[in-house]
Parts: sequence; C-alpha cells; structure tokens
Amino acid sequence: MSLESRLRSTLAGRTEEEKRVLALIAGFLSIVLVLVVLGPVVALTGLPLPTLSISFIISTLAIAGMYLLLTLGLNVQWGYAGLVNFSVVAFWGIGAYTGALLTGAGSPHELELHPLYGLVVAIVLAAVLGFAIGLPTLRLRADYLAIATLGFSEIIRIIILNEEWLTAGGLGVGGMPTLVSTWPLSFTTPVLDPIADLLGAQTRTVHDLVFVMLLTFVVFLLLRRLQVSPWGRVLRTIRGDEDVAAALGKNTYWYKMQAFVLGCVIMAIAGWYYAHHVRFMTPAELDPIDTFYIWVAVILGGSGSNRGAIIGGFTVVIILQGTRLYNDFIDSILFFLTIDEAALRLLLVGLLVILVVRLRPEGILPPQREHIWPAALRERAGEEGEQ
Amino acid sequence: MAENSNHGMNRRDLLKATGAAVLVGGLAGCVGDDDADEPYEIGMVDSLTGTLEPYGERNERGSELALEHINDVGIGDDDRGLELSVQDDESLPEPAVDAARVLVEEEGVPLLIGSVGSGASMGIHESVIQGTDTVHISQNSTGAVLTEEPDLLRTSPSGAGKGGHLANLISDDGYDEVALTYVNNDYGVSLRDVFEENYDGDVLATVAHEEEEPSLSAEVSEMEATGAEAWLFITYAEEFIVFVNEMYDRGLHEEIQFYGAESTIADSILENTPEGSHDGMVGTSESAPEDSPVYQDFESRFQDAYDTSPTVWACYTYDAVMLSAIAIHVADEFDGPAIMDVIRDVTNDPGEVVNSLEEAKEIVDSGGDPDAINYEGVSGPIELDENGDPTGAYQVYEVQSHEYVWGDVLT
Amino acid sequence: MVDQLPAAFVEWIVSNGQLFASGLVFSSIIILGSIGLALVYAIGDFPSFAHGDLMTVGAYTAVVVNVILGLHLAIGFVVAMVVTAAVALGTDKLVFRPLEGRAIELLITSIGVAFAYRALIHMGFGPSSRSYDVGGRGGIEWIRETFGVTVTPRGATIVLTTLVLVTALHLVLQYTTLGRMMRATAENKELARISGIRTQRVLAAMWLIGGALAGAGGVFLGLELVIRPRLGFSILVVLFAAVILGGIGSVYGAMLGGFVIGMAHELTPMIGAAVGAVPLLPAFGSEYDAAVAFVIMILILIVKPTGIIGGKTSA
Repeated sequence: MSLESRLRSTLAGRTEEEKRVLALIAGFLSIVLVLVVLGPVVALTGLPLPTLSISFIISTLAIAGMYLLLTLGLNVQWGYAGLVNFSVVAFWGIGAYTGALLTGAGSPHELELHPLYGLVVAIVLAAVLGFAIGLPTLRLRADYLAIATLGFSEIIRIIILNEEWLTAGGLGVGGMPTLVSTWPLSFTTPVLDPIADLLGAQTRTVHDLVFVMLLTFVVFLLLRRLQVSPWGRVLRTIRGDEDVAAALGKNTYWYKMQAFVLGCVIMAIAGWYYAHHVRFMTPAELDPIDTFYIWVAVILGGSGSNRGAIIGGFTVVIILQGTRLYNDFIDSILFFLTIDEAALRLLLVGLLVILVVRLRPEGILPPQREHIWPAALRERAGEEGEQ
Repeated sequence: MAENSNHGMNRRDLLKATGAAVLVGGLAGCVGDDDADEPYEIGMVDSLTGTLEPYGERNERGSELALEHINDVGIGDDDRGLELSVQDDESLPEPAVDAARVLVEEEGVPLLIGSVGSGASMGIHESVIQGTDTVHISQNSTGAVLTEEPDLLRTSPSGAGKGGHLANLISDDGYDEVALTYVNNDYGVSLRDVFEENYDGDVLATVAHEEEEPSLSAEVSEMEATGAEAWLFITYAEEFIVFVNEMYDRGLHEEIQFYGAESTIADSILENTPEGSHDGMVGTSESAPEDSPVYQDFESRFQDAYDTSPTVWACYTYDAVMLSAIAIHVADEFDGPAIMDVIRDVTNDPGEVVNSLEEAKEIVDSGGDPDAINYEGVSGPIELDENGDPTGAYQVYEVQSHEYVWGDVLT
Repeated sequence: MVDQLPAAFVEWIVSNGQLFASGLVFSSIIILGSIGLALVYAIGDFPSFAHGDLMTVGAYTAVVVNVILGLHLAIGFVVAMVVTAAVALGTDKLVFRPLEGRAIELLITSIGVAFAYRALIHMGFGPSSRSYDVGGRGGIEWIRETFGVTVTPRGATIVLTTLVLVTALHLVLQYTTLGRMMRATAENKELARISGIRTQRVLAAMWLIGGALAGAGGVFLGLELVIRPRLGFSILVVLFAAVILGGIGSVYGAMLGGFVIGMAHELTPMIGAAVGAVPLLPAFGSEYDAAVAFVIMILILIVKPTGIIGGKTSA
C-alpha cells in the first residue's frame, strides 16, 4: 500500500475535529523536529538560529507524563461523572508524601522501604481518603462540591504542614530513590544507558520518561475501556441528568463515589511518581494553583474525552514551559522597555488560557465518538465503503 | 467528491497549523555558539513571582550590581562579559525544577545559581543537577538539609549557625523566657529548631504563621497570652511589617523586647511601620563588617542605584554572581568540572584577600592558581566548607530612632 | 459548680476579647469581598477566581491616589471603588460575556483573568510592600478602657464603613426596582428575563456593585496588612468558604457567611483550646485558622447542603 493510500485510509474514518487536531499535532511535531535538527547545525556552523535540545525534550516529557495522569484522573471525575473536584493537588500530594515518607532517606520515619510499598499505601490511602471526603460532599450540588473539595484540599495541606511528627512539616522530605535504581526496574539499565548516552540525557530521566508514559498509556487504555462499558454509560447518564439515572433504578451516589475514588487514586499515583522523580517534597507544593492548572488542562483538552485529557495535559505543559523559552526573543524585541519578564510570563499564561477557552470553549478535542462501541463504528465504515 | 474536499481541508489546515506552531516553537531555545567575543552565560533560578517575590526583587538588585561590576572589567584575558539567564520558579519547587531544566538542559549553562526556597534548591539539585557536571550554587537557601549535599554550594549560610547566636543573644540579655513566632516553611522551621536546641531558657510558645497570611492578630494574641517579655520573630520582612504594626496598635511595643534575624532587617520594614514602633529591637544578621571598605563601597553603590539599603539577601546574590565570575576567570575551561575544581579555592584560605573580580584579575590570570586569591564578599568571608556551606560572619543590629545601627561582630 | 459556669464562661470570653475585636475587623473585609463574589455567582452563574485579585486592583488604585498623587485616603477609597467597578464590568464585557454562561469555561477563564490582574499590577508596581499614607494607628482609648481590647481608628472605620455599605446594599435590594430585579434574576434568570427584566442591565449593575465592594475590601485589606501584588489572592479561598457557607445565590448568606468565617478564622486559638479541653481531642492554635474556617463550612454543608440561607432551586 502506498503512503498516500495508507494516510488516506487512516484519515478516512476521522471526524473533522480529529483531522484538525491531527494536523495541529503534525505541524507542532515538525517544528520540534526542525528545532532539534538545527541543534547540531548551529553547533557546527555558529548560525544564530533557535534550537531545542533532545535532553530538554526528554526531561520535559518525563514531567509531562505526570500532568497527563492528573488530567486523566480529573477527567474521570469531571468528564465521566460531572464532579467538580478541586482537591486534585491534595491527592497528588498524598501520593507524593506517602512515597516520600516511606522511602525517603530524609523522612522522619527512617523506613527507607522499597517504592512499591509507597505505591500500594498511596493507592489505599487515596481510596480511603477519597471515600471519606466523597461521603459528605458528593451529595452536594456541583458548585458546593467544588468549594467543599477545595476546603478539604487546604485542610490536608495545613495538616501536612503542621504535623511535623508525621510529615516533617515545613522542612520537607528528601532522599527518595530513583525508580530505576530499585528492583525490578534496575534491570532496564543495560538497555537504557546506551540510549541515554546517545541522546545526551541521563539514564534516570530516560527511564522515568518511559515509565510514566507506559503508566499513562495503561491508565488511558483502562479508562477508554471503562468509558464504553456499562459502568461508563451509567455515569454518562448521571452526568447528563441524574434524575433519569435514578429513575432507572441506579444508585447514582454510589456510581459517583466510584468515579471519584478512581480519579483520586490516579492522582495519587501521579504524586507517587513525582516523589521518585524530583526526589524532594515540601508542603508548599500542595498549593491550589496546581489544581487550577489541571482544570485548565481538562477544559482546554475537552471534557469527557480521554484523548482530550492527553492533549490538554500536553497543552498546559507547553504553555507553562514554552513561555520560559521566550526571554531572548522578548529582550531583543522589547529592548527599549525594562520588562519584568517573570510577570510578563504570568500575564502570557493568563492570556493564553483566556484565549484558548474563548476560541474553543468545547476544548481542543472534545469527545468525538468514544461513546460508540468500536464494533458499531467499523460496521458503519464498512457500509460507507461499499457505497 | 466528499473525499476531495476533505483532503483540501487537510492541506490548508496543515499549513495553518504549521504557521501557528512556528510562532510557538520558533522562539524556543537559544543560540549556542562559542564565538570568542560572546559573553559567558550562566543561569539563575530566582523567585520572581509567588510568595517569595520580594526576595526575587532583592536578589535581582544584587545580581544586577554584580554584573555591572563584573562587566566593567571583563572575565579572562580577553575581558569577556558575563551574562545571566534568569528563569522564575514562582516560589515553588516544581516550577523551580522546570526552570532549572530550561537553563541546564536547553541552554546548557555550566553553572547554575538557584534558588531561594530550600525545597526548590533541593528539588533542582536532586532532579536536574545530579548526574551532570553543572556547578550549583544557591543564593538564598538557608535550610539545614542543603548541608547534606556537598555539591550544592551556597553563599547563604545554613540557619544552623545563626540559631546559636540568637539563643546566646537573648540569654545574655537576661531573658530566660521567650515567645517565638516563625514562618512555617523550611527557613523558619530550621531556624526555630536550632534556636530551641541552643536556648537555655524556656520557649513559652512557638507560634507558626504562613507566608502571606491575611491576618496575624490571632498569632499576636497567642504570644501575648504567654506573658513573655521577649519575643523572637523568625519571619520575612513582609510578615514582620504586619506584626510590628499590629503590636504598635496594641501598645505592645512598649512592653515587649523584639528580637529578630536577618530577614527582619530591611528598609521596607522601616518604610511601612511607624516611627518608634520597634525601637530597641535587637537581632543578628550575616554581614560583612559595616566598617569594611568593601561593604561601604557596595552599600553606597547600591543606594545610588536603587535608593535603598541592601538587604543581606541582595548581598548573598551579589556574592554568588561575583564568586562565579572569579571562578570562571580562574578555571582552565568554561565547563562544570573546571569551574568546580577551583571554586572553593578561590574563596578559601590561603590566598590574598580580594573583594572583586577586578582585584582578583590583578593577582591571577585566566587559568591561574586558585589558591593565590581568597574572595571575601559583601555578605561575609564565604569560605565554602566540604559541604558547600559558607561560614557566616554575624553581626548584631539594633533599631534606634527607627534606624538600623550595627553593633558587635559575633564569632 | 454550676453557678460558677456562667462566670467562667464570661471570663473566657473576656480574656479572648481581643480575638473577637480583631475578628470583627477581619470579618468586615471578608464580608465586602464575599458579597461581590456571591453576586457574581448568583447572577453571573459562575465562581470568579479573579475576585481576590480584583480586590488587589482596588488596593493599588488607592495607592495611586493616596501615595503617588498625595490625596487623602478617603478620596482614594472612593476612586478605588469606582475604578474596580469599572474594571469588573469591563472584564465581563470583554472576557466573560462572550462565553455565554458556560460555568466551567467561565471558571477557567477567571483563573486566567486572575493571573492577568496580578501580572499587570506586578509589572506596574513591583513586588515590594507599600502602605497608605494615613494615620489611624493605636488603640482607641475609651474602647481600651471599657473593653480591654484594641480597636484602632482604622479598624473602627473598616467596621463602620462596611456596616454602611452593607446597609446601603440591603436598602437597594429591598426597596429599589433595581434591587428587586437583581433578586429576581438571582432567583431564576430565565423567568426574570421572560417577565421582562432587562437581564443585561441587571448583570451590569451586579458587576459594578460587586466590583465596587471588592475595591472597598481591597483598600481595607491593604489598610490592615501591607499592600503587595498577591494581597487579594491570599484571601480568595477564605472568600469562597464564606460564600458557600452562606449559600450560593444569597447576598445575605454571603454577609452572614463572611461574618462567621471571619470570626472563626480569628477565634481559632479559642476554638483550639476548647477542643483541646475535650478528652482525646488535640488542642491547636492559630496555625489552623484557615482549616477551622473550612471545617465549619463543611459541617454546615453536611447539615444544610445549600448553605445557611442559600437555596437557589434553578440549575
């Protein structure tokens, strides 16, 4: 099959929006590719051209994965079940602190356990806490739920900050091992070392990138499956009109609780990963601003859509990191003004958020046909092909 | 027919998308080339926005002045300049790591100065610096935890030293009871811990407060309830302003003896509190001795440039940048390992004492012997130990007639 | 023992008197902020995360008038109210209106707006602390003598002005046509529109009033603390707690919620000591003040899920 016909058949079944997004992604990736290729060119020739380094891309992706997980988790709560949860950062923090306190060399408990313990305890703790918080709040109307969860988030942050015997409080916890240094992941080092050398990056960053992307992929597949399952359908009905769902005999509260807890667990896993990636944790990081960023990601991506969540997560990372790369450009263009670059960046982030929501309020990639069973889609495509 | 229009739309969209993406991506990155006339570039992560943004501003002043002094003479035999590429960490550890990544991995700086919060500095070190050859200096972090990382250098002494001095100061003044309030982060908790360990008397209350609290009245009431006559404030200038005003309103300034540390001395405090609101306050701060000509010169240049006295934080940052310039000058190559090789020696004994790049250049050429010089800065002698910590030189200060007066140097 | 109880109770209240006094001043500021927020929520139909930073706009406007131009702070106060009202209305017309009432999108947009306000102020004024050029420090003597607590002329001005503004708002809501229209629109926007109420005008009035009160609250916040770009952002979460406690859709609920949350925030040492007196429960102090405010809010929501006064029935 020729490249053109292969491309054509890939694009054939796609909706307009999907095609547009694919084009956008293709365009973006080509630019990145060009910038990367320019790196060695500039090094050799000394031409003044912008470049992007591979090691920077790798380490950015390694943290982007965490954003993707958080956005996917929030999407389960908001996109599937319509729950306005503003405690994202708290559950992320619980996952991170569990990992830190159980494995960190600087932890007040001096346990230095294997990261797997941290993961298991983080999941259990997030589930239990999610359930506990959901219990009084899920009955509330959406607006109240939002602020109630924000309240819980702050309460958790304040407890972590003040109960020094438990969390080391404001001092923070450090010394967590990298995932690649622990069994069984340490077995991947022979494979990753040469790759890391080739790319000019560190082994642990390459490892973390692969690890978090695989993790995200697995979670993504799981969530897609859930979305088309009967469970997902019930949640969609609840989100659309809770009374209808209740009339159909569904225990709406229980379904919402499941979605809530699932989302919280995913967020905690993202936090656990962070603890082993950045390897220092402080209570300051449980700032509600991070919850806001994930909400921006979910909305920018397109609520209810897992692919949208992925795109939204990447978009937020691009906005946040991309605006850091402007300094030289700003300096050369606005040299006549003494510009406060950091505040300008903040302004830029704010304006970008306003702009994207304004231009595409439904998100970059809202749900297309995820709700339709794949087999039915194939059937329909088959019918159209025959015509 | 439907297929044709789809393809047309695709190509147009691809072009549009590419155009849009060019705007985004095309501004990325930085030129990498080694033209000999180009300035040396190092990186700095600073808290320019967020809860610590006043410190970002103070640091900026220190680094700007340092760059001026450095670029007046130039580094190395060919007098190349120094350029600082600055990224904001929003006063949080995670953006700090993002900021460091841009500087180290994208711009490839061999030396990084950053950051303010100890959590940010640790995060940067563990996650970006470790495993690379990049030299890492923190300009403001005082948390004890940085001592555990010998490769994490800093120009701001660990709180560990200061706490002892404060404890002695208060005891020696005859107070065997004290009420303490501290800002609840790595800086405040560290200093509180060290103080409590070293203080002989009773700490009647340790009242935590957060940065940017909308009200500190309850904290003041709690301290008042202890009946202590000496109150120690381990906090930042902004919060201290609110404390002083609150206590002034309640008339407590006439009953309580104020004690503070290096962050409770700043011109902005004097500007935002009434006359006589905390006269008689005593504190300790790192400093170069006030009568040292270096410091006096620095102070007058600072005043001329910014119309305010330098805080110790501006001094630390000034020293971090100046030290970097001297180390780059003395190093064999402009890369991490070469700079790391010399950086401790240029600021430690032995060596002839120098206070600037200019003076250093008179004694040692590019690639010369680092032991020939000993940089002593505007914040103190520096003298980086094996843990990368500087020895602090502490001085007592007092508030008299709503002005700062420096006193004894503590050893 | 029993007849000693009231006296002990009274003594406990008196010894914590300063907490109450400070609580009154703090509550006033919270009330001003939360009324505006409640109005946005009720009539604009979304929680504006830019409201705290809107208060900062007010604070800095007064800085321009009072510190830079040298006029009296009272003038600065009035100008701050006017300018903040204008900014609020302008932002609505420019940014929020085109989104046509989609709540979540508006919420996200308001986050962007908050960043924008804060960034512009930061760029314009820098991050250093500022204060107003006005007196009013030191406790009022007769209050000190009678009650044993410190209330400064500043604090008294804040409390009294808030009282005046709140009363004025109450009169507007109850006895003017505009007020009736606002209440009707808050109750049920669709129905209001169908019955002929020009909702656009009501929305504009709401932004102006909400903005003006936010501006007032911002000036007072700056009066009590120190003025910096992040001034208003620091109480945003507390404002939300107040609005939710009172009940979305109810301006009176916001007033009550602001009072309760503000007082609880300041009375935390007292509450913490009382809790500690109960066997098995830990005592705590002012470090948990924000947490206490939230716990109270959550407890109220458990008992009455629509807040104390709230009860908006439309979706």
